[in-house]
Order: sequence, then structure tokens, then C-alpha cells
Amino acid sequence: MTSTTRLLEGLGRIYVGLLLAFLYLPIVIMALMSFNASPFYQLPFEWTTKWYSDLASNAQLLAATWNSIEIAIIATVLSTLLGTAASIALFRYDFRGKRFLQALLLPPIAIPWLITGTAMLIFFFGVGIGRGLHAILLGHVALALPYVIVVVSARLQTFAPELEEAARSLGASQWQVTMRITLPWIMPGVIAGALFAFAVSFDQFVVSYFLSTPGQATLPVEIYAAIRKGFMPEINAVSTIIIVVSMGLMLVTARFFKFGGEK
Amino acid sequence: MATGGASRRGIGPALPLLAPAYLWLTVAIFLPLSAMAFFSFMTELPMSGKDWSFTLENYAAFFSGALYPTLLWASLRLGLEVTFWCLLIGFPAAYVLAKVLKGRVREAIFLLVILPFWSNGLVRIFSWAMVLREGGILDTALNAVLPFKVNIDLMYSYPAVIIGLVHSYVPYVVLTCYLTLQAIDDSLIEAARSLGASRLQTLRRLILPLAMPGLIAGGVLIFVPVVGSFMEPRILGGRTGTFYGTVIEDQFVAVFNWPLGAALSFILLAVVLVILAVAAPVLRRAQ
Amino acid sequence: MTRFLSKLTLTTVLVSAFAISAHAGEVHVLNWKGYGADEPWAIEAFEKATGHKVVNDFFNSEQEMLTKLRTNPGLYDVVMINAAFTGQALAENLIQPIDTSKIPNYADISKEKAGSPMLNQDGKVFGVPWVWGLTALAINDKSFDSAPTSVSVMWDEKHKGRVIIRDDAVEAIQFGAIASGQNINDIKDMEAVKAKLTSLMPQIRTFWSSENDWNQMVASNQIDVGTYWSGSADRAKTQFKLPVSLVIPQEGAVAWLDAFSIPAGSKNVEGAEAFINYMIDPTFYVEWVTKVGAPVSANDKALAALPAESFNRAVMGDPKVAERIQFQAPITDAQREQYLAIWQELKVNVK
Repeated sequence: MTSTTRLLEGLGRIYVGLLLAFLYLPIVIMALMSFNASPFYQLPFEWTTKWYSDLASNAQLLAATWNSIEIAIIATVLSTLLGTAASIALFRYDFRGKRFLQALLLPPIAIPWLITGTAMLIFFFGVGIGRGLHAILLGHVALALPYVIVVVSARLQTFAPELEEAARSLGASQWQVTMRITLPWIMPGVIAGALFAFAVSFDQFVVSYFLSTPGQATLPVEIYAAIRKGFMPEINAVSTIIIVVSMGLMLVTARFFKFGGEK
Repeated sequence: MATGGASRRGIGPALPLLAPAYLWLTVAIFLPLSAMAFFSFMTELPMSGKDWSFTLENYAAFFSGALYPTLLWASLRLGLEVTFWCLLIGFPAAYVLAKVLKGRVREAIFLLVILPFWSNGLVRIFSWAMVLREGGILDTALNAVLPFKVNIDLMYSYPAVIIGLVHSYVPYVVLTCYLTLQAIDDSLIEAARSLGASRLQTLRRLILPLAMPGLIAGGVLIFVPVVGSFMEPRILGGRTGTFYGTVIEDQFVAVFNWPLGAALSFILLAVVLVILAVAAPVLRRAQ
Repeated sequence: MTRFLSKLTLTTVLVSAFAISAHAGEVHVLNWKGYGADEPWAIEAFEKATGHKVVNDFFNSEQEMLTKLRTNPGLYDVVMINAAFTGQALAENLIQPIDTSKIPNYADISKEKAGSPMLNQDGKVFGVPWVWGLTALAINDKSFDSAPTSVSVMWDEKHKGRVIIRDDAVEAIQFGAIASGQNINDIKDMEAVKAKLTSLMPQIRTFWSSENDWNQMVASNQIDVGTYWSGSADRAKTQFKLPVSLVIPQEGAVAWLDAFSIPAGSKNVEGAEAFINYMIDPTFYVEWVTKVGAPVSANDKALAALPAESFNRAVMGDPKVAERIQFQAPITDAQREQYLAIWQELKVNVK
């Protein structure tokens, strides 16, 4: 290893550190302000846990938080199931129109959410599906599906179809082949897809915003309303809790599935 | 996507596995988009109870003055600038992550980069307000460190919108580029170097072309939502925060002119698709 | 006997419980945020007194309020509408006539306000006047030694980049009318208004859309002066202890009348009537003014309950002030579209 290489690698590490600082700056600020007494973020800093106790009695914000978590979990389960099934079908079978079906996965990714969201609003409102949590769920699953299919399909590419054939020739049923051979192999992809789906749903604002009704909103929608109509410092508190919890969950997930570190 | 094991035949056996996903997409994406196309040619919403008829007026409204084209251009420019900065900032980080860092450190940093996705985008944007304003955290911190007085007041400006959006979307580039860079065999890079290629040559001739799919995927994932963004400009842009997206939002949430909103959305959609279509062959060649 | 008595008590309890549950229900209220109807102490008192539960929802422009009524039929029971927009809500059949005999405090509302043609049609009442106030200027006390007297302060080079106005087409155009010495309800020279506003744009720090925006800008000392609502300026001072003072410029100010209406399709009209009655009650008003800060009540008795030297009586009741203010009248659809187009153009050209 030459000294130039070492120097460059050192600079690289510093650069990544700077990027992390940039990424976490607002998150740290948010966490700090959740303990600051002034509702207008005035300095000097004055310690308080008032916003956390206020949060405990803010029924609207808590309800929205639970809505977000519930919708994200259901949307993750549904989109992962449907998406994995579709990926396996697209991998296993060759048929007329397959390329067309694969191309159809692009619109939800390649169309700005603003357009998808307003289109859903018009359609759901027009045909009587209406708006509300069920409509938000309907939308979130659709948004997450293509991501799941893309991620799982990528994993399937590393799969040898001969394995399936070998199992079949040994007398395994289609179901057994899928459950015993295919699924275990693509599991890291399925989990990555599910994590993706969860992030798409949990942090989704635009589509939820157009499909929410008063009282049936997710957390990002409530936060947007609050920012526009009068910010509640409780929001910093709830966001801090969420990031701490998701950090914990990610650490646990990372322990069990070494994604990122794996090669 | 790989071609599977079985040979070409009818869609029959694949149907039970495919149908649920595609039915869902039809109800939640394709029918709504068709409905919106339909509505954009109407004078009034049929459910408003008023008489309605077909018209081209909503599209004519776009071309009637400089207002909407100017805003659309502003939004496209915003999308391009944010994508550019994200690629520029994100790619080196992805490279360091994939090729320099190893083991647990790499795993931890990778997690840290994607973790913000599971926090809340809105709050992150809102927190920037506290950082960027005059007398805010950046201003105070810089003045505490620097010997001379600087006045950092970026809040409510175009740069503030850029910073907020880059911050929100740069992890996408790190993620997609990391995945493609990781797939490049280290021995390939070593071979190039030992054959006398300079670092820059290796980067330009070998690494960048191989990483192109990741750059493109990251670029598309950023450009598309940024063009339609309305929340970030509203919060960070102040008086310069009017974009095409904010005007569409207004049509749906406040002014209640859904047909005009639908037409404006469709024009945006058409422009985005044209850009992607034009870019596709160029980008494919670059691969 | 005791058994009979206990049975009787039980029955009474059950009946009254049933009666309460029959009366009680949710009252869905649509209003600005931080504007009286969502004060926790007020909601608590109202819920205790009537058994109705209050559910608040908020808007941040009159247009958004109307769209919420349009797209959520049957959801809201009470809506707070600026009287200049009541006619539009009525024309779209979004609100229903109010039986004022069910609202005892209605009798104390100033006759001139209650009889406003904006709130009455065909002998039916569609809006119960609540409070009125001004869209005037408010200043950051830290930035001025003595309060300015003219709107020209907004164009003063000294305050460049430290001026704020609301992101609202109608409000902006009417402010431009006042600054160019015109009648806000009959703008003859729109070019003068445009010119005024165009030259104001470079002065502006940002637009505000909620009270909270304004207060944050002052709290972080980012603005010197801007358009603000009289009640909000009062709240900034009283409730949030911010250095804010209201200025009624010599050129005049826009006055508005806020009224409560009952949306068509309300599922709890009775609760709505009880809530409106509570909102216009002197007890609530006095507490609101002292604890939080509020505009001027339309209820004569409520106003009389304030000390004579209070701002809402001494200044807002001053005939010299009354001469300067112009009450907002309804605007037509064509005007609204014209105002919106002008405002959008101004905002786009700012870049």
C-alpha cells in the first residue's frame, strides 16, 4: 500500500464522516429541540421534558403515529407477499407479454408522487372508495410493490434454476420447491424488499396527504398540517422517539441479517 | 430480470402468482391515472353536482401565459440541480463505503446512511429551518469558530430548498451506487492499476462505466420526486418557494379546481416521461 | 320502600344517562388553529357543561376551508367563516340556516353585526357573528424606537428583507389597495395595486400562513414589521410574551367579521348550537381576552364585560379608528380569479 493510497483512503474516511455529519445535523437539532423549553426554538437552551409529557396527552398526534405504524406494517406484509409471488412468477415462467408486465412496474416509481397521489384522490373520490386510512393503505401497497419486485428479482438473478429442476426431478411438488428451495435462497432479498416497503410507507407523505381525511391521517400528514397551521414542539418529541426506536430495530435486524456487510 | 428456467409458453401457470400484484397496481395506479386523464378534459367535476362538458380549456390554461411554463421550468431545473448535487456528493461516499471500509465499520456506516429513511422527512426538513436562519445554529457555530464575522442567512431562499432536498435524497445515491460498486471485483481494479492506468483513468474508464446503472437508478429515484415536490419549497423557500408542485397542490387542496390540477399534473407527467425516454438511450449507451 | 327508592334512583340514573348519551356526541369544529375554539380550558369547560365532545380541525386559508367543506360533506358541525365568504359557502349549499332561538346569547349580539346582509338571506340566518378585527400592521418592538404610523414603513429601505405578509391573494390585493389609497371593495386602479406590491416584493423575508409562522419569525428576530391580524398580535403579546405591537396605520386597515355557521349535513346540529352559544358567551370571551388575547367580540355584553381601558374597547372602539377602517365585502368569483392570477404572477416573478 503506497502512502498516496493511504492518504486518499484517510481523506475518504473523513469525507464519509462529513457526509454523516451533514445527514445527522437536522436530526440532532430536532432531538435537542425536543428538550428545549421555548416553543419557538429560542436560545439559550433551557432543559424541559414538557413536550414529552404533552405528547402523552396529545390524542391526535398519538393516533396519527399509531395509524402510521399500523399502515406501514400491513402495507409491508401485503406488498412483500404480493411482490415476492410476482417476482417468482416473472423469474420462473416465460410467456408472451412478460416484458410488458415488467415495464408496468416502472410507473409507480417513475411518476412523481404528486401525480400518483392526486390521481388516486380523483379516482377513489369518484368511484366511491373514498379517502381515509383504507385508501392510504391501498396506495401505499401499490407504491411499495414495484420496489419489492425489483429488489427480490435482483436476488433471484443469483439463483440457479437448475436447483429447482433438480428438486422437481426428485419428485418435489411445486409448493415444496418454492418453500424449501427458492424462498430460503431469496430470503435476504425478501427482507431487504420488506424493509424498503416499510420505509416507503412509513415516510410517505405526498400520497397520504391527498388521501387523508380529518381524523384519519398518518403522522407525516399531521406534521405537515402542524407546520403549516401552528407547529407543536411535541412533534420533535415524537420524531425523536421514532428515530431512536428505528435505530434500535435496525441494529437488531442488522445483527440477524448481515446485509450491507455481506458480500 | 433473468429469464427463468421454463421455456416460453402461455401466461397460464404464472397467473395465480402474478394476478394479485397486478390487480392491486391496476386499482391503485393505472385506473387512477386513466381517470385523471379523463378528468383533465372536463369543465367541472361530475361529483360536484354542476353541469360538466368536455373541454381543452385546462390545457389551454397552461399555455395562456408565462406563469405555468415558467413554474414548470423552475421545477425541472430544481430537479436537475438536486440530482446533480446528490450524485456528486453521494458517489464518493458510496465508493469509500464499498472499497475502502471493511467489516463492521462498513456495516455500521451503511446502516447510518440509510437510517434517516425510517425517520420523518418532514421533520428533517423543518429542522433545517432552525439550522439555516440568521442567528440560527449554523450562523452561531461558524461565528464562534471563525475569527471574523460572517452572516449566514440561507433560510427562505433557493439554496435552502436545494440543501433540504439534497439532504433528503442523497442516501438514495449512496445506496444504489454502493450496491453496484460492491459488485465490481477488486482484482479488476488492481489489474487496471498494475497495467499502468492512473487513478483518474481507472475511475473514468473502469469504475464509472461499471457503476453507471447505480448512478442512473439513483438519479431517476431523485429527479422524479423532486420535480413534483411541494412540501420542501413551501417550508424552506419562503417567498421564492413557489414551484409547479405547489401550484398543483393548491388546485387540489385550496382552489378546488381539480380538472385544472389534473391537466397540470398530466403535462408534468408527459414532460417527465419525455425526459426519461430521451435520456434512456443515451444512458444505455453510457453503460 | 328503600328498594323502591333505589330502583327509582337507578331508573333515573339510567334515564338521565341515556338522555345524556342521546344529547351528547361529537361536535366537529373547523376553524383557524389557535383561534379560541381549540383552547384546552375552553373545550374542557364546554364539554363539562354540555357533555358534547369537541373535535377540532383546522384550515389555513378561506379557500382551504371551503374545499374541506366540499370534500367532507356531513363531517363538520361548526365552521368559522369570515363573513365575506359566507355568501360563497351558501351559494354552493355548504351551510344551512341557523335556528337562532336555540342560541340564547344570540340576542346580545350587536344588531348591526347580526343584521349584516352577508350573514342573512331570505330572512334566514346563515352566520352568527363572533368577533371582528383588523388586518393591520404589527411590529417587532425590538426594531423600533417609536411605533411607525404609516404603511410606508413596509417599503422602507431600512427594513429590506425583514418584512412579512400573508400568502393570500385577497389579503395581499386589499393591502395593496389600502397602500395605494383605494377602497378595498371597489378597486379602480389595479395597476397601482400591482405596482405597489411589485415594489414590496424585494422587501419581503417570507410569506406567513399561520400565526405560528409570524410568532416564530419575531421570536427568532428575523422580521421588523408585517401585516398581521389584530387578535393574533394581541395573542403574541399576551399568551406568548413576544415583543409585538399592533399598528393601525393612518392609511387605514382592512376589517373583517368572523362568524360561525353550521355546515349542511351536520350530524349534531344541537351540539353545534350549544358550541356557538358557548363561543359567543361573555364568560368565555373575557377569559379568552385575559388569558390568551382575542379580537373584538360581536356580543355587546361580552365587550362591556371588559375593562373600559382595555385595547379592544379603548382603541378598537375609538371613533377615530373606526373612520380609518374598511370592512371587507364579499368578492365575486371573477374578482377572486383575477386576484389569484395577479398574486401568483407576483410570486413567480420574485425569483
